[in-house]
Amino acid sequence: MLLYVLKRLLHSIYVILAISLIVFIALRLTGDPVAVMFGAGEPTKSAIEHLRASLGLDKPLIMQYLIFLKGIFTLNLGTSFRTGQPVSGMIFSRMGATVVLAFAGVIVALIIAIPVGIISAVKRGTAWDFLGRIFSLLGLSFPNFWLGIMLIMFFAVYLDWLPASGYDGPVSIILPSLTLGLILAGVLARLVRSSMLEVLNKQYITVAKSKGTSEWLVVLRHGFRNALIPVVTFLGIQFGSLLGGTVIIEQVFAWPGVGQLIINAISERDYPVVQGGVIILALLMVFVNLLVDLSYQFIDPRIKVEGRKA
Amino acid sequence: MKKRFAMLLMVALLVVVTALSGCSSSKGSSSSSGVSKNPVSGRSNELVVGVDGDPHSWDPIATFLLAWSNVANSVFEGLVNRDNNLKIHPALATSWKYINKNTLQFKLRKGVKFQDGEPFNAAAVKFTFDRLLGPEGKKGPQQANYTSIDHVQIIDNNTVNFILKQPDPVLITKLAGYGAVIVPPKYIKQHGAQYFANHPIGTGPYKMTSYKKDNQVVLEKNKYYWKSGEPKIGKVVFRIIPDPSTRLADFQTGAIDIMKTVQVSQAATVKKLKYATLMQASTPTVYSLRFNVKKSPVNHVKVRQAINYAIDKKAIIDKVLNGYGKEISTYQSTLSFGNNPNLKPYPYDPAKAKKLLASAGVKNGTSLDMFISGSDATFKEVAQTVSAYLQQVGLKVNIHTVDGSTLTSKLTPTGKAGQFYQMGWGGWTLDFDNTAYLLYSKGQFWNPDFYDPQVEKLLAAERSTVDQTKRQKIFMQLTQKLYNDVPEVNLFQTVALYAVNNRVVGFAPPHDDRINLAQSSLKK
Repeated sequence: MLLYVLKRLLHSIYVILAISLIVFIALRLTGDPVAVMFGAGEPTKSAIEHLRASLGLDKPLIMQYLIFLKGIFTLNLGTSFRTGQPVSGMIFSRMGATVVLAFAGVIVALIIAIPVGIISAVKRGTAWDFLGRIFSLLGLSFPNFWLGIMLIMFFAVYLDWLPASGYDGPVSIILPSLTLGLILAGVLARLVRSSMLEVLNKQYITVAKSKGTSEWLVVLRHGFRNALIPVVTFLGIQFGSLLGGTVIIEQVFAWPGVGQLIINAISERDYPVVQGGVIILALLMVFVNLLVDLSYQFIDPRIKVEGRKA
Repeated sequence: MKKRFAMLLMVALLVVVTALSGCSSSKGSSSSSGVSKNPVSGRSNELVVGVDGDPHSWDPIATFLLAWSNVANSVFEGLVNRDNNLKIHPALATSWKYINKNTLQFKLRKGVKFQDGEPFNAAAVKFTFDRLLGPEGKKGPQQANYTSIDHVQIIDNNTVNFILKQPDPVLITKLAGYGAVIVPPKYIKQHGAQYFANHPIGTGPYKMTSYKKDNQVVLEKNKYYWKSGEPKIGKVVFRIIPDPSTRLADFQTGAIDIMKTVQVSQAATVKKLKYATLMQASTPTVYSLRFNVKKSPVNHVKVRQAINYAIDKKAIIDKVLNGYGKEISTYQSTLSFGNNPNLKPYPYDPAKAKKLLASAGVKNGTSLDMFISGSDATFKEVAQTVSAYLQQVGLKVNIHTVDGSTLTSKLTPTGKAGQFYQMGWGGWTLDFDNTAYLLYSKGQFWNPDFYDPQVEKLLAAERSTVDQTKRQKIFMQLTQKLYNDVPEVNLFQTVALYAVNNRVVGFAPPHDDRINLAQSSLKK
């Protein structure tokens, strides 16, 4: 087990190295932070040179990359070109808002998708199933910014029940988490349905049923538990990417999360913030994936991770 | 049987969805209570402004963002300020005069204090400019604008001399700029620049008491403010709401009193609200399609003129911008010094365009590459309209949509943005010098291709004198020359739209994004 974890962590170093290189090159190919900073000012040649030097952009590219790499391994991701503040601090101060929204969205999605998926599967081919499938199709096909704006129009402007935007108390999370949750629930409900259908056709379900166990008990205890694995995998991956901030939802609801921070940094070509942000998110993603893999054996004890003697 | 039930369900679902979206989108026209009843309640001494961006640093030497000035204009003041008509007025200085060619003397206002109680005096002015022109200023984009100043000399507590390296005709107007606002020496020395960037202190009418990045900024009345009776409102909150639809929703629910940057497409909705007023102010920003004059066929002046004749700018303003824009003759607004009132925008004349193209030997169906920013939905429509007009005179336009920062910081300066590309330019000094020098002088960052010896001569002449009548004359020649040369097609001057709740009294929308709330008050 420990060996397996260690091996996985070792693998992740390659991943991080590859990502760091891609981010580093892509950023430098597509824009110049100094030019963006000057806006409509008077960028004389010497002013541009001074600014470049003070940002460390006068060094050769390979040096800049090595400094970035060293930063990753010494946990010092540098300071933002724009704010002069440490990048790690900027990102972690935004993490709170993002994590809260990600959790709330996933919870909303689970509350909707699990019953919908199970009912769809158990009542396969009936009107219930049809309704459930229509629902997930809608969830899949709505663009999230459109759904967000529609929810704002309805619940904030028309009914005046909820604030349209902001990050101020528990009321303000309802609309963004509902938007996120509804979209996620679409895919998730489909997944629960198909994986339930697969499980419900297994022999042990028939056996359990023939033993006289009540139908819902069979469905939940024998069926749902075994159908969980693809669901957990999906949620794990989704959650990992949700931690990167749901840029569009954050934008629509003026939610001050990591997504907005990085998007702004990209348009300003604030290299340290983009680089540091991407690296932190990549690490989180690696970590979440590892957790997902480890969780399988708790869901299904028959699954054993590599490296442990059976 | 089951199938029929399913069909029925689907129809029912469709009806519900349509009804839902119908009642939400027609909101504002059908429900009368939504347009007539003022949604704001319980904020008798508090004004909330919804803005679209966060500058991420409040340090004046580190920024060039309009988002900075939305808020910071209430916190900081310069020696001189612009009023709402963009005229220069004394602010922290009471008067100024040139003692000799290279010495400008300012008398300072007495009895002014910073928001933390620190006195404003000659030492604060010297500290501000030492900081701006010294190593700390090097780290930001503002220093380069003030290089004509050698140093500031303290004469007495209320008098300073600006010692100049060379005459700068635009200096006074630059002193109303972002980088020249006066900052508190003791406070910055005590807390450091990084703290200052998040907790700014100035002499302005409001003090910043809380700042949450990308969320909100809270300002409270500066009790030391030197103008008696101002500001009138106790507390002002700036909320950062990047999405325009959300910003409008917040305005309609009464969460904000003033909405900045109303989109052209939203103007009609705001006009229907009985509790609100749609206010507009023309801005110095001009949108143009700039040519790369080295590329064929637009290296030929006749082709550039033809393109200018082929585009109906008035129709674009009326139809695409719903009338919220102004026609313009050269690349500077009527608000700027050096504008030439005698020049009229190129009229729409496709026949003449065709003739010019023919005489330049351009074949029918010649294709041109146009680069525009992908984040600007309105301009995308403008570009498509332009392409349709050019098609009518036999030119085929390939529109390339690219990321905005990539376009301005990478493609434009290196001349890789096709035959012509989108450019929005404000000219922050409100003097043609800034625009003309940066866009037409050889080797400037944003000018990879244009060169004309006569233009260079005129630019040098304009910079060498502080006599404004002489400069105006030079600018008349320069604008005439540029008008004939067509280094760009000037499409329109933009108009800034604000939605303002009628409970706000005395608010005037700024031309330059520097929101001024000192004279605003709230109806009880």
